[in-house]
Amino acid sequence: MKKEIKKWFSLNLGINNQDHKECSGSGCSHNSIEKTEDGISQVFDVNMNRRQAFKKLTAGLAIGAGAVSTSCSLFSGDKSKEKSEIEWEEYFKGNYKLMTEEEKSKTVDRLIRSYELRNGTKINISSKGAEENILFGYAFNISKCQGYMDCINACVEENNQDRASQMQYIRIHEMNDGKGLNFGEADDTYYHEVPAAGHFYMGTQCMHCDNPPCVEVCPVQATWKEKDGIVVIDYDWCIGCRYCMAACPYDGRRFNWSTPEISEQEVNKDQHYLGNRLRKKGVMEKCTFCIQRSRSGKNPACVEACPTGARIFGNLLDPKSEIRWVLENKKVFRLKEDLGTEPKFWYFMD
Amino acid sequence: MSVLKNLIRDSLVYLTSGRKSYHIWMALLTFLMLIGMYCYSLQLEHGLSVTGMNDRVSWGLYISNFTFLVGVAAAAVMLVLPAYVLKDIDFKQAVLIGEGLAVAALFMCLAFVIADMGGPARLWHMIPVIGVFNFPNSMLTWDVLALNGYLFINLSIPFYILIMRYQGKTPNPKIYIPGVFISVFWAVAIHLVTAFLYQGLQARPFWNNALLGPRFLASAFAAGPSLIIIALAVIRKFTDFKIDDKTIKKIALVVTVAAQINLIMLISELFKEFYAPTHHSESAYYLFFGLHGKSALVPWIWTAITMNVTATVILTFHKLRNNLNVLYFACILLFLGIWIEKGFGLIVPGFIPGPWGKIAEYLPTYTEIGVTIGIWAMGAFIFSILARTGIAIELGKIKLKK
Amino acid sequence: MVSCKDKKDEYHNIIDKIEDLSKDYKPVSLSSETYIETLNKVEVIENWQRFYIPERKSQIKSFECNECHSKPLSELQNEKSIKKSHWDITLKHANQETMNCVTCHSENNMDKLHSITNKPIDFNLSHKLCSQCHQKQYKDWAGGAHSKQIGGWAPPRVSQTCVGCHDPHKPHFDKRWPARYNTQMADERN
Repeated sequence: MKKEIKKWFSLNLGINNQDHKECSGSGCSHNSIEKTEDGISQVFDVNMNRRQAFKKLTAGLAIGAGAVSTSCSLFSGDKSKEKSEIEWEEYFKGNYKLMTEEEKSKTVDRLIRSYELRNGTKINISSKGAEENILFGYAFNISKCQGYMDCINACVEENNQDRASQMQYIRIHEMNDGKGLNFGEADDTYYHEVPAAGHFYMGTQCMHCDNPPCVEVCPVQATWKEKDGIVVIDYDWCIGCRYCMAACPYDGRRFNWSTPEISEQEVNKDQHYLGNRLRKKGVMEKCTFCIQRSRSGKNPACVEACPTGARIFGNLLDPKSEIRWVLENKKVFRLKEDLGTEPKFWYFMD
Repeated sequence: MSVLKNLIRDSLVYLTSGRKSYHIWMALLTFLMLIGMYCYSLQLEHGLSVTGMNDRVSWGLYISNFTFLVGVAAAAVMLVLPAYVLKDIDFKQAVLIGEGLAVAALFMCLAFVIADMGGPARLWHMIPVIGVFNFPNSMLTWDVLALNGYLFINLSIPFYILIMRYQGKTPNPKIYIPGVFISVFWAVAIHLVTAFLYQGLQARPFWNNALLGPRFLASAFAAGPSLIIIALAVIRKFTDFKIDDKTIKKIALVVTVAAQINLIMLISELFKEFYAPTHHSESAYYLFFGLHGKSALVPWIWTAITMNVTATVILTFHKLRNNLNVLYFACILLFLGIWIEKGFGLIVPGFIPGPWGKIAEYLPTYTEIGVTIGIWAMGAFIFSILARTGIAIELGKIKLKK
Repeated sequence: MVSCKDKKDEYHNIIDKIEDLSKDYKPVSLSSETYIETLNKVEVIENWQRFYIPERKSQIKSFECNECHSKPLSELQNEKSIKKSHWDITLKHANQETMNCVTCHSENNMDKLHSITNKPIDFNLSHKLCSQCHQKQYKDWAGGAHSKQIGGWAPPRVSQTCVGCHDPHKPHFDKRWPARYNTQMADERN
C-alpha cells in the first residue's frame, strides 16, 4: 500500500477521508518517503516519528489557532473542519513552479473542494502544463480596431475579474490622427459613437515579454515565464509587494486592493490554476493569454470576441501559423521597443 | 544570562520612572501607536483599498517613508566613521545615540514595508529554503539582506558595549572595532541598494537615471545627522548626559557638506529634465509645474526646495551654523525638506504619468496617515527607550549590582 | 536585448529565438478538431495557403433558386405581370458606374456568380469574386491577417469568408457605441 506523503504541516482533524490515513501513536516507522522538489519537504524529509511530533507541535501554532479552535469545537460540523483543513494546507503549500505533478493536482483538488464547500457548486480547475513546440504570440491590427471594446467585455467574463473595481486587463486607447502614437494625448475612457472621426484605436494589455522585467524583480518568484511564453502568476505565492507593477512598462498588471467580488452566476467555471481561478485580496493578477483556453487550442476570449478580426493569436514556432505570416508579411512594430523587454505582442496596419 | 536578566530588569525599572514630561511623552507616543494599530487592523480587514493607492500609483505614503528612513538609518555611520576610524573623541559620545537612532529608523522601515504588503501573512515565502528567495535577481531581496544585516550590526555592537559598561567592564576594542568598520561600508550599501530598487526599473524614467543612488546618499547624510543633532539637543536639555558643543558643531559640518552636495545634485537633475525636455521628463513636469492641470504635488516640492535651500545657505555661514539655536532651526528645516523631497516627492511622481501617459493623482487616506503616524510614534518610542537606557548605562545610573 | 544576468537565453532578440526554435519544429499535439467538428466546411488553397472556410450555400435561405423556379431565367425576365424579384435589396457597394447586380450575379444562371471574364463562380467560393477588386485584402485573408479564425489557433485553420462578415450588397459597417464605460477609470483620471 502506497503511503500518503504527509507534509509536516498537514493538519489532520480525524475526518473520515480516503486520503487521510493517519498512523496513530508512536508505532509508525514508515520510511517510504518520496523525494519531492518542494522546498518544505526537502527540509522536513524526516522519519515519520519526528513528523508526528512536529505535527502535534505545529497544531498549536498561532496562525492555525483559529482553524484549530473551530475544529476542536464540539459543535462545528465536518464541513467546517474540512474547510479549516483545506485552508491550513493551502496556506503552507509551496511555490507552484516547484511542485510535482502530484502536488499540483492535489492543490487543484483542494481548491475545487473548497469552492464546493463554500458555494455548493462544482468548478473545474486545470493544471495543464505547457506543450512542446509552442511559443504564443499576438498581433493587433490598428486599422481594424474600431474601438468597440467587445474584447474587454469578453475578457472580464472569461477571467473572473473583480466587478466592484471594474478591473479590466485590456485598455483601448482612442488616439488622434496626425498625432501618431501619442499615448499622453489619447483617451481610454471614451464613451461615444465609434469609430469617431479623426481618431484611430489601439489596445494594450500584458505583452508577455520574452525578457520580462516583472519576473526579474519579484522577490519570491511568484511570477515567471512558462515554456510556452506565457508570463504567469501563482496567486497563492504572491506576497503583494507590487514591485512587479512598478517594473512593468506596459501597464499589464492589476492588483486586488480589496477582496474581489463576482456574483456566483457570472463565475466562469472552466478555470486554470495559473489563469482565471478566483483570486483573493492582496495579490497581483494579469492577462494570461487565457491560459485555460490557449492551452487547449482555443483562442483567447479577446481574439474570439473581436468582431472586426483585429486580433490575431497563434504559435510563433509554427511556420504556417497566421501570426508568423503577419510577422513576415506585414509591417509590424512593438511598443517601447527601446526598453529591451522583447514583448510578444506586435502591432500592424492593413 | 543572569547579566542579561538583570540588565532587562534594571532597564525596565529605570524606564518606567522619570519626570512628568517623560511620562507624558511616552503616553502620547503610546496613544499614537494605538491609533496606528487600529488603522492597520482596518487595513488587514478590508485590504489595501483603504489607502489612497491605486493601479497607477501603486506605492504611496508607506514606501515614501520607508525610502526616507533607510537614509536616516544609514546616517548613523556618519558618527561612527569619525569616532572610530578617524579616532575623533568628540564623536564618541554621540555614537550610541546615533546607533539607537539607526535601530529605531530600521524598525520603522521594516514596519512600513510590512504595512505596505498586500499579503503580510505570506511574508514567510521570502525565507530561503522553505520559501523562494529570488536572490540575486530581485533588488528587493538584496534590500532585505542589507537592512536586516544592518539591523543586526546596529543592535549587536551597542548591545555589546552597553552590557560591558553595565557590568563595569571596558568593552574590548578587538571585538567591536571590526563590526564598526563593517557597519560603515554596510551603511553606504543599504542606501545604495535601496536606491537601486528604483534605479533599476526601466519602466520608470523618473527613477531610471544614474544619479539616484548618489543623490540618496547625499540626502541621507544631510537628513540623518540633522535628526541626530536635534536628538542630541533634546538629550542635553533633559538628561545629565554630557555632549560638547564641539561634537554638535562637527556633526553640523557633516550636514552642511551633505546638504550642499544634495543641492548640486538637484541642480543637475533639474538641468537634465528641463534643458531639453523629452517624453521622459513628464514626471518632473508633473512634480515641479503640474501636468495637464494636475498639480497636487507642486506646492509640496517648492516648499521642500525652499526649505532645503534656506537651510543649506544658513548652514554654509560659519557664524550662523555655530549659533546652536539657528543650527537647530536649520536642521529641522532640512529634515522636513528632505522628508518631502525624498519621500513622496520622489516615489509618487515616479508613477505619474502612468505607462500610457495617464495621470491618476494620489492622495493618502486618513487610515493610511494613521498607520504612518503610528509607525513614526513607534520609532520615537523605540528611540526613547534605547537612548534613555544607553545614556543611563553610560552615566552609571544603571549598574549591575554584585 | 539580453542583460548580463540572463545566461539561458542567448538570443539577441525574439525573432532570432523564433527562427532558431522553429528549425526543428514538430507539429503540436493540440488541435482545433473538436471545436470545428460540427461545422460544415470546405477546404481551399488560396495564395499557396491551405485552410478551411465555412460552407456557404447551406446558409443561404432560399438557395437554390432553380429548385423552385421551374421556368428558365430568360422567360422570368420577360414576364411583365410578376413583381420584380429581390426588390428589397439595395445595392450600396462602390458606385453605380462600377457595380450593378450583374457585376457579380450571372445573368443566365441564378445559382452561380461570375467573374469579370464571365467564368462561373460557386457561391461557396464567393471570395474568388471579391478578390478581383480587393486583392490586398484577399492576400491578407489568405495569410491569416484579415478575418476571424473560427475554432482556435491550433491547426487545422478555419477562416471566416468575406461574406461571413461583409454583406456583399451593403458592405459598409455602421457606427455603434462601445460595449462598456469604465466609471472607475474615469473617476481615477478626474
